Order: sequence, then structure tokens, then C-alpha cells
Amino acid sequence: MKKFLKNNAVQSLIASLLCIILGLLIGYIVLLFINPDGAWDAILMVLKNFLKSSLAKTRTKLLGATLVRTAPLLMCGLSVLFAYKVGLFNIGAAGQYVAGVCASLYAALAWGWGWLPCILFAVVAGAALGAIVGFLKSYCNVNEVISGIMLNWIALYTTNMILMSQKQQASHYTLKLKGNADQAILPTLGLDKLLKNERASIAIPLAIILAIIVYVVLFRTRFGYELRATGNNRNAAKYAGMAEKRNIILTLVIAGGLAGIGGAMLYLTDIEQWSVTQTSVPGMGFNGIAATFLGGLNPIGTIFSSFFIQHITDGGAFVDTTYYCSQISDLISSIIIYLCGFVLFLKTAINRGIARSEEREALREKALAAQAAQTAKPENVSANEKGGEK
Amino acid sequence: MLLLLQYTLIFASVLLLVALGGCFSEHSGVINLGLEGIMVIGALGGALMMRWLPAGTSALVVVLLTLLAAIVFGVVYSSLLAVACINFKADQTIVGTALNLLGTAGATVLVKAINTAANPNDHSATIQYIEQKKAFIHYFGSFEFNWFMVIAVVILVLAWVTLYKTKFGLRLMACGEHPQAAASVGISVFKMRWSGVLISGALGGLGGICYILAGVSQWQFEYGVAGFGFLALAVMIFGQWKPWRIGMAALLFGFFRALSNVYSGFDFLTALNIPGTVYNMLPYIVSLIVLALTSKKSRAPKAEGIPYDKGMR
Amino acid sequence: MESPYAIEMLHITKKFPGIIANDDITLQLKKGEIHALLGENGAGKSTLMSVLFGLYQAEEGIIKKDGVEVKINDPNDANDLGIGMVHQHFKLVECFSVLDNIILGVEPTKNGFLQKKEAREKVLALSEKYGLQVDPDAIIEDITVGMQQRTEILKMLYRDNEILIFDEPTAVLTPQEIDELMQIMRNLAAEGKSILFISHKLAEIMAVADRCTVLRKGKYIGTVETKNTTMEQLSAMMVGRNVNFHVDKQPSHPGEVILDVEHMTVASKVHKKDAVKDVSFKVRAGEIVCIAGIDGNGQTELVYGLSGLEPLKSGKLTFKGQDITKASIRKRSTSGMSHIPEDRHKHGLVLDYPLEYNLILQRYFEREFTSAAGFLKRKPIREYANRLIEEYDVRSGQGAITPARSMSGGNQQKAIIAREIDKNPDLLLAVQPTRGLDVGAIESVHKQLVAQRDAGKAVLLVSLELDEVMDVPDRILVMYEGEIVGELDPKKTTQEELGLYMAGAKRDEVKA
Repeated sequence: MKKFLKNNAVQSLIASLLCIILGLLIGYIVLLFINPDGAWDAILMVLKNFLKSSLAKTRTKLLGATLVRTAPLLMCGLSVLFAYKVGLFNIGAAGQYVAGVCASLYAALAWGWGWLPCILFAVVAGAALGAIVGFLKSYCNVNEVISGIMLNWIALYTTNMILMSQKQQASHYTLKLKGNADQAILPTLGLDKLLKNERASIAIPLAIILAIIVYVVLFRTRFGYELRATGNNRNAAKYAGMAEKRNIILTLVIAGGLAGIGGAMLYLTDIEQWSVTQTSVPGMGFNGIAATFLGGLNPIGTIFSSFFIQHITDGGAFVDTTYYCSQISDLISSIIIYLCGFVLFLKTAINRGIARSEEREALREKALAAQAAQTAKPENVSANEKGGEK
Repeated sequence: MLLLLQYTLIFASVLLLVALGGCFSEHSGVINLGLEGIMVIGALGGALMMRWLPAGTSALVVVLLTLLAAIVFGVVYSSLLAVACINFKADQTIVGTALNLLGTAGATVLVKAINTAANPNDHSATIQYIEQKKAFIHYFGSFEFNWFMVIAVVILVLAWVTLYKTKFGLRLMACGEHPQAAASVGISVFKMRWSGVLISGALGGLGGICYILAGVSQWQFEYGVAGFGFLALAVMIFGQWKPWRIGMAALLFGFFRALSNVYSGFDFLTALNIPGTVYNMLPYIVSLIVLALTSKKSRAPKAEGIPYDKGMR
Repeated sequence: MESPYAIEMLHITKKFPGIIANDDITLQLKKGEIHALLGENGAGKSTLMSVLFGLYQAEEGIIKKDGVEVKINDPNDANDLGIGMVHQHFKLVECFSVLDNIILGVEPTKNGFLQKKEAREKVLALSEKYGLQVDPDAIIEDITVGMQQRTEILKMLYRDNEILIFDEPTAVLTPQEIDELMQIMRNLAAEGKSILFISHKLAEIMAVADRCTVLRKGKYIGTVETKNTTMEQLSAMMVGRNVNFHVDKQPSHPGEVILDVEHMTVASKVHKKDAVKDVSFKVRAGEIVCIAGIDGNGQTELVYGLSGLEPLKSGKLTFKGQDITKASIRKRSTSGMSHIPEDRHKHGLVLDYPLEYNLILQRYFEREFTSAAGFLKRKPIREYANRLIEEYDVRSGQGAITPARSMSGGNQQKAIIAREIDKNPDLLLAVQPTRGLDVGAIESVHKQLVAQRDAGKAVLLVSLELDEVMDVPDRILVMYEGEIVGELDPKKTTQEELGLYMAGAKRDEVKA
């Protein structure tokens, strides 16, 4: 049991589950305060999401809808995670995601590019934004959180400006891809039939593959070895001759690229159109933070946690609006992020508890052994002590 | 021109208040990245108070109660940061970020619930305070004077006196520079850090209500405060954690923020034919440039961001 | 009846997970005496003091003040009882003035506002009375270590403390400053203050203390009157056996020049002056050269300059005939330079990495451990780690996969030494390689350094410990304020002569 508890992965899992349960509980209490009537139903609805429907067909369709949005969320989560392994908090993932949206939509609508070049262009755009943060961090010592936030806003307004030329005449939304840029719509590989959802595309398996690649890069390669060493101890990394500045920039470039793909993954399914009068940064990047930490800072864990976050976010949309609004799932996921801050404390507490009980056992054994020795041969013990003095 | 001055002053007031809040928190050793969320919650407190105060309440009472509500909300909310970062040694970046998200989500949920309860068809997250806002405003000709301009200056002076002329300030800064030294002379680092964070909550809350009273007379809580909490942190860094310099930095940033509101009033600016969005971006771009130029030789409190552990010496 | 003791700690026991730091320890401090507390690193001195200051609560035992039992729950209680301490690492806020540091925690105020004028007068009066010269308005980061220590002493006197504790106060001082401090301590005792002097330097204890209590590995060994004892006896009590301080080694046979340093200057990070000024010296194959000096005289920066952690401001470095002045850290390492860093937690280890990953920290990129495609070769890494663990006797809970964080300090250091020596370097930079190690481990490190030398390698040792400086190297270079002020032959010089150089009282023109 103790050995089981000592395992880092097990601890992370326990911590994440605790965060979720506590998050839901606190969310429930908040709902009780707002309106006691529908609180339980609302929490259930948030948790059920696609399971709410009694029809298997609808369930699959709704599950598909959740998966479509899980893919970009996973990319944002991976972006945050990748940077965090080097000790950087990439809150700029939100802006890098927007840059990815901007690049892919513009390339699709204005230049008529196919879906693959569109995705690659989104990578470049996100990476460029990440590079700015990395450059400012390593050469000007600018806190990456603050520069990230500033760039989020700059990216948002720039995107609005650029996509202005691609908007529909009558509305402030960009043109639909269907009919205007069919070549840029992500291929579905039959997933649309399987999930009974026309938006289900290559993005879903691609995101999972990328998560596995991120895992391999971080834990199995020389590059990952360097990055994690830098994240754990910057000075030691420098001492070992690792190029710290280059690694910081490279990491943020990759993190930016990952978030950029996320932007393309959602908008190239044509599920949404960008509103060029938007005045707030989309929450996808911020939810990525929740996914990362809930996933125990592990790329594989992040696959499941991003599904969970998207699951409750979509569930929130089904909540009865006469009682509450759909943002209650945002509320719950932000409570979960808050609780994730306590994970380290929790892990230390578990380890301390294990150490203490081990020590108690060791002491007990020692006492028993001493007792046995004493009853057997008292003079032997004192001779031993004298021996120790020499 | 007068309009530019007016907006510069009011936005500078917001930034000054919040940046001073950040300054107190950081001098105690805690990086408060949750100021954005604290602003939202402070604004929520103030706006709710204005909404619920009966019409005809005297202007002074409106002002005082609104300020009080904003402060109380800010302080209570910031205690979430304090308990996590000080007592549980949580990662200050994660918790700060969580508070920002929670602030907007929580305020939205709450305001929508209140609106829907009052009118089942109202699903908006908007609070109006046209009447009550007048209590804060005084007109000198066409110049719209806001009491917050005075409040900000008063608090600036108070902050300077507190930090440099009182026992409290000396102890607070000792905790941010070298908590072990402070603890060794019997100062409770936990208490001082709690004070620092709660003060930042109070000032952040004030900044929040000030922000939503600047220029508009209703607020949609889904939108948060557009990165103002982070702009304030940039102001604080540019001001090198010193109150007077923060004051100057706030004026500079306030000016750039004001431009986006009033650029169309200047013929030569409209003649440049720059899209309005560029002016919207301006404060963020300026802050990036300023940070790039000033962060290298920053004089940040040495122990900021590092949880204090009694066992570590 | 009045108790002759100012403070008594009776039968104190304090446990931490996995270790008993204090096991039934008794310490009685008489009024007006200077009482030394002697013990090696890890003997439990710091823990005992933390108990006295209420930073830790003892599981067993009591504390008496003037014969009356007292409870000490936090430093405030200790302060109220008149106990003050000068910590080994000063507890001073660097950007505050001397005066602000002295009054911190006991600020005189009127309506909440600081009354610095009052405080300044009291500080000046105290510094006059005890001969402690300080400038109350100077900022701590601008003043000398000696003056910082005087600030710490004034902090205690300002609080009217009767019991003064000095924790390893001489570690950072020059011999002359040490003499001054000894005099100050005698003055304080003469004025009726009771002084507890924590140290592991026998000569100082013999010179200044009236009595001495010895701890070893968390246990109480005994208390003796210094006038009735000898250094040898104290030493035996401290380490449990008579230590052979001498390192056995054959005469050296220096070969070709491996490292040639010419007019090296390195800027300081802490102040505006240069930390290393126009330093020139050579290290040859088959010799151990030691850089001696008091802490903070530019040794750290010298090593940073040699290893590439900091750029040179001017000068030239030649390593095995090649100019490496501008070479990267990696280049220097791969061309045959190893570096045992001064601070193993700051530079030496990635604490969250397992031991095996730490053992390849300097070589992970080599084909032996990384495939051409950039993947880590896990099996060779494990095998390599196991070999080093075996050969260098690195002990840890779970072998190669033990997190470095959970290893003891001595074994962490062994791991670093194993890594750096196994690289088979032509030049080994060993910076305080025995810091924080116990006597047995120190001996083994010294043997390894000599073995390197005998294998025809060059060794540059940086040390603060006089014994090490006298015994291990073949040549000594003394650094003082960033300059090399003397070259000594350890066989011909004495500790006293070395001390004069280290204190800057004596200097030669050293040729490059």
C-alpha cells in the first residue's frame, strides 16, 4: 500500500481526483447559495454532458461535439505543459492559439491554401508569438506571464484587424469555410460517420498523437533531458553547458506552435466563425492551464484532463438557464485550477505521512531488537557501546 | 485635449491604485498575479452596492458605501491567494491565474443569477449604475472630475508614508527582502505577508470599481477588466516598486490607454488614418517595450515568489 | 539562592524524520563566561540553537533561565529572555541601512511612526561603549563583512540581551578581524554578558573560551575547562578518534603547463569593483595547486571565469595550448576540464533528477548515452550509473533511480566527484570539495585528488580550510581582494605566514 502511495503517478492521480471532487463540491455549494432549487440538477447536468440524452445516437453525436473541442484544448494544454517543464508559465498560450486561428483562417480564405499548409502556417504564427515571449524572457528578463498577457491582447486585436478583410458582408463574423474555402476544411477520415458528427476530423487523432510525441520528447530524448534539467535547476543546466537562452526560446517556440495548431484545429473544422469585433481573449488557452495541472503535468494525463474540462464545459451549456448560466462550468474549472495550486502541498503531506509511519515502524523494530538483545546478553550491549567509542 | 487629460487621469488612477496594491504584496514577498481577478470582484462589490442603494441616497453615502463594498470584496477575495500562497506554499503563478479566471467566471455567474432572479427574461451579466455614478462625478466646465483622481493621490501619499515612515512598512519590506532575517527578530512573516496581500486586495478592489466607473455607466461582467491588472503590474515594475515612480509610470500608461478612447477627437491623429484597433493595442505594446527596457536591472524584492518555510534557514 | 547559570538546556532531545539531531544534550552557560560549543558539521549544534530560539520544539528536556524553567515557543520568547544570536549567515536585510537593521523588530515609534533619531543616539552610544565601529546610515550591501558582523552584535546589544550566541563567527573573517572579534567578546564578557561561542576551530576556542561543551553526531560528549585541556583532547572528543590530519603523498613531478592564466580580470556581480584583478598563474600536469584565501576574495569569480560560467573582462586563458578565453562551458568541458562546484545544490545537481541522470550531467550528449536521433539510451545510462555507484561508493536508498534530493549531503558530493573524475579530465577544478563532509569522507576526497595528480593530471583546488590548504597541495596561491598576493610552498610555510597573506598583511610580487 505504501509503495503504491509512494509512486509519483499514483499521487498525481489521487491529487487530481481530489481537486475534481472538491471543485465540484465547492461549485455545488456556490450554486446552493445562488439558488438552492436547481443546484443538484445543474451539477449533474455539468457532469453528464453527452450522457444526458437517452438516445444512443444523440449521445454519440454530443460526445463527438465534445471531442471536436477537446482536440484544440489538448493542444493548449500541451503548450502550457511543455513550457512549464522548463519552469515557464505560458499564459500566452491563449494568444498563441488566437494567432493560430488568424493564420489558418486567413491562409484558407484569402490565399485558398489547403488544410495542411493552413495548419503549418498556424504553427508558424503561434511559434512566432512564443518566440517573442522567449526572447524577452531570456534577453530582457521580462516575466513571461506579464509579457504573455500583453501579447494575448495584441494578438486578439491584430487578429480582428487582419480578419476584417475576410468577414461576411452583413455580420461581424468571418466567412464560412464551406463554400468559400472547402479545400481548407480538415479531412474527417470517416470519423464523422463514426461519431455521427460532421465536425469530427483528423484533429482528434492528431492531437492525441502530438500528446504522445510531446511525452516522448520530454522524457526520452536529449532535448527533453536538457529542458527538464533547465526547469528544475537553471544554474545546474548552465554549469553542465546547456544553452539556457536557446532552450528557453526554443521551448516557447514549440509551446507557441502547439497552441497555434490548436487554433487551426478548431476553426478549420468550420464549427465556428471568428467575430472580428471580439473584445475578449478566447478562454481556450486559459482552460489549457486547467487541463495541464489537472493532468498532473504529464502529457498523457493531459489527454484525459482536457477531455474532462471540455466535458464539463459542454455540460454547462445544457444547464437550465432559468436557474443558472452556462458559465458555472467555467466557475468549476477555475476552482479546480485554484485547488491544483495545493497539489504540491498534498504530495508533500502524503510523503511526510509515509516517512513518519516508516520511521515509527523502524523505531519499533529497533526497540524490539534491543529488548531481545538485552534479555539475551546484557553485557554484550555495553561492550558494543564501548566499541563505538574507540 | 481636455478629454484626453480627463481620461489619462482616470485611467492613471486605476493603474496607480492597483499597482500600489501589487507593490504592497510584492514588498511582503508574494507576487500577486491575481490582481486582475481581484479588480473584477472589487468592481462587482461596488456595482452591487450601487445597484442596491435606494435612489435618493446622499452622494457622500453612495461614495463611501461603494468604496467600502469594493474594498471588502477585494480583501475577502485576496484572502484566497493569501491562504494558498502563504499557508499552503502553493505556486503563486497558478493560484494568481486561477483567481483571474475565477473572478470573471464567478462574477458572471453571480450577476446573471441576480439579473435572472429579478427578471426571468434577463440573462445578461450587466449591472447599470447611471444614477449612482453621478455621486462620483463633478463637472468643472466640460471637465468630468472623478473623486477617484483625488483618492488615488491620497493613497499614493499614504502608501509612501506607510512603507518608509512606519514600523509596519519597515517590517513588511524586511519580509519581502529577507524573511529569515525578519523571523529571527520575532516578526511574524506569515502575518506580514497576509497584511501585504490583503492590502493589495483592498487597493485592487478600489482599482476595479474605479475602472468600471471610468467612462461608462454600466458594466458587463463577462468581459473582465481587459488585462488592467497586468498593466498595473507592468506599471509597478516600471516604477521599480517605489510609490512615486509608480505614480509617474501610471500617468504614462494612463495616457496611452486614454488615447484609444479619444484619438478620434484629434484631427492630426485621425489624419494618420491608423485603424482604431492599433490604439486599443497601444497600452499593451507600450508596456511590452517598457518591460523589455527596464526588467534587466530590476530591483524586485529579493524573496518575492518564494514561499516562506519556517524550517528553512 | 541565585543560580550561577544564565541559561541551562537540560537533556534536550529533538528528532527529525529519519534522524535524531539532538540526543539527550545538556548545556549550562555560566553568567559572565565565554562558553564554547564544539562539534563537526552535523553534530547537532544548529539544531540545539534552534531549540533555544524556539524555532524547533524539543520532544524532551527543559530550558532554565536563572534556575527557573522557561518555555520558548518562538524567537520573541527568546528575545524576551535576553537571548540574542549572531548567525553564521547574517540575518541582515541587504538593501536596508545599518540602523534599520538594528531596530527591525524593536522599532521605537510614536503614534506608529518610526523615531529613528532616538534609535541612532542609542546605537552610537553602544558602539562607543564596546568599541564597535559602524556607520548607522550605510547600506548593508555596501559595507564589509566585518562591519556587517558588528551590526549583528549591535542588534543584540540594542535589545539589551544578556546572553549572546555567536554561531561560527570567524568563518568569514580575516585573522586580524578574528583577533578584533575575540577582543570584543572578552569586553562583552567583562561587562557581565554571558557568551556562547559555537565553533569547530580549536585554536580559537582555546584562545577565548573559559569552558567548552562538545557534541558529536547528535550526542553530548562532555564539558571541559579549556585551561585543563589540550587541543588534541578536544579534537579527540569532537571526532571520536585521533585524526590523522596529514595526507600521505609522494613528491610531485610537474610536467607540461595545462592551464595558463594571463592577466585575468572578472567583474563582480555584487559590487562595482572587479572581483578578480589581473590574475596570472599556471597549473601543470601532475601537480595540485591550491587557491587559498578568506571567503569572498574573488575565488568564486575566478572559478566562474575559468569554467566559463562568467565571461572575462580581460585577459587570456590557455588550456592545453589552445586559447579558450571565449570558449563555451560545453567546449571547455569536452576538451578536458572538470569542475566540482562550490555549491552542490546550486550548480552541481538537478535535485529532482534521479541519481543516474545526475551522473551523466556532463556527458549525456555523448554517443554513449544519446543515439544519433537524439534519444536517450536508457540501458547504457543505467549501467554507467551502476558502475560509478559501485566504484565511488555512492550510497543511496534506491540505487540509480534515487532522486538526488533524498540523498545525504556527503553522498551527493561523492556523486559529483565521481562524475567529474570519471570524465578523466586533464584539469580538475575542485572548489571546496570537502565542504560539509565528515572526516572520513574528507580523507577519501583528499586521496582522490592526490590520485588524480599521481596519474599525471592537473588539479586546481580552491579551499577555505587551513588544514586542507597546508596538507593537500604542492603549491599554494593566496588570493586577497581579487589578487594573487603570494605563492607559498606548503612544506616550507606555516599557518601563521599563510594567515598574514590571507589577511592582506603581507604580499609578494608574484610573477606570472
